Amino acid sequence: MIEPYDWAGGREAMVRFGPGSGPVVIAALPLFEEANRMRGFAATILRSLAENHGIAGVLPELPGTGESLIPSERIAISDLRAGFAAAARTAGGRAYSMALRSGALLDGSVVIRRRWHFAPQPGDALLRALRRIHRTGDAPGYGGHRLPDTFLDELPDCHVEPARTLRLEGDTRPADRLVPGRALWREPTPDNDLVLATLLADDLAAWVRMCEA
Amino acid sequence: MLDIETTVRGVLRDVLGLSDERVAAFDETTPLFGALPELDSLAVAGVLTEIEDRLGILIEDDEVDGEMLESFGTLTRFAAQKVLG
Repeated sequence: MIEPYDWAGGREAMVRFGPGSGPVVIAALPLFEEANRMRGFAATILRSLAENHGIAGVLPELPGTGESLIPSERIAISDLRAGFAAAARTAGGRAYSMALRSGALLDGSVVIRRRWHFAPQPGDALLRALRRIHRTGDAPGYGGHRLPDTFLDELPDCHVEPARTLRLEGDTRPADRLVPGRALWREPTPDNDLVLATLLADDLAAWVRMCEA
Repeated sequence: MLDIETTVRGVLRDVLGLSDERVAAFDETTPLFGALPELDSLAVAGVLTEIEDRLGILIEDDEVDGEMLESFGTLTRFAAQKVLG
C-alpha cells in the first residue's frame, strides 16, 4: 500500500507492508545507483517479514532520491535523515531500521529504537566510490547524478551508528554475522536473491523479537 | 593470502556478473584487463571500490595501472601487499 508522509520540506511517498500495529521496520535503501539495484531486494525482505513473521515494514522514498520531486542537485544529508525520521514517525508503532549499504548513514534519528545494517558503507567510502565513478567520465556528474558540493563535503563526516551488522562472506570488517550471497549492489543489471532475502528477513525478525522482549 | 584470493575472486564474480564456475577456474595467469569484455572502466571502478570495502584498504589512483589489472595473480598480489602493509 502506497501512502504519503510529510516532512519539514514537503511530502514524499512510502510503501507499507504487513500489519498496521506492532513493531515496524523502516527500510533505508543505499543512495544513488545502488538504490536501483537493491530496491527489489529490499521489498522482498519486507514482504518476507510481513508474510512469514507478521512484522510490519515501510519503504520510504527519501527527499532527493528515487521518485522524489526534489532533484538530486538539491540533495542534503540533513534532509535525507529528516525524511527517514518523518517516515518512521508516520509509520507509527515501535520503529526499527533496516539499512542497506549507504542507507546506514541515514538512520541516526532518535525515533529509531534499534538499528540493523547489511553491508553498511560509511560516508568516506561512499565519497571515494562517487569520485571514482566521476573520474571514469562514463556518465555526466556522479554516475548520472548531479550532486551539490555541500553534500559531497559533508560525506567524510557521515558516520554509521552502532547496529546489528551483517556482511557477506569474504568481507573482513567486523560483523555480527556473515551470510552467503552475491553483492547485488554491484551486479551489472538489477537482480534479486530470494534465498538471501529470506535469510535476512529471518535474522531481522529474530532480532526485532529479541529487542521487543 | 588464500582469504584475500577468495575475496578478490568474489568481487570479480559480483562486479562482472560472472558465474561461480567461471571465477573458480581463475588462476594466477588468468588475464583480466583487456581480456574480459565485462571489465570496462566503470567495472574497474566497481572492482577497486569493492576490494577496498571488503578488505578495509585504500587504493590511490596512481597505484592503478595496466600491470596491476593484468591478471588475477597480479591483482591478488596487489591486494595482499595492501592488506599486509
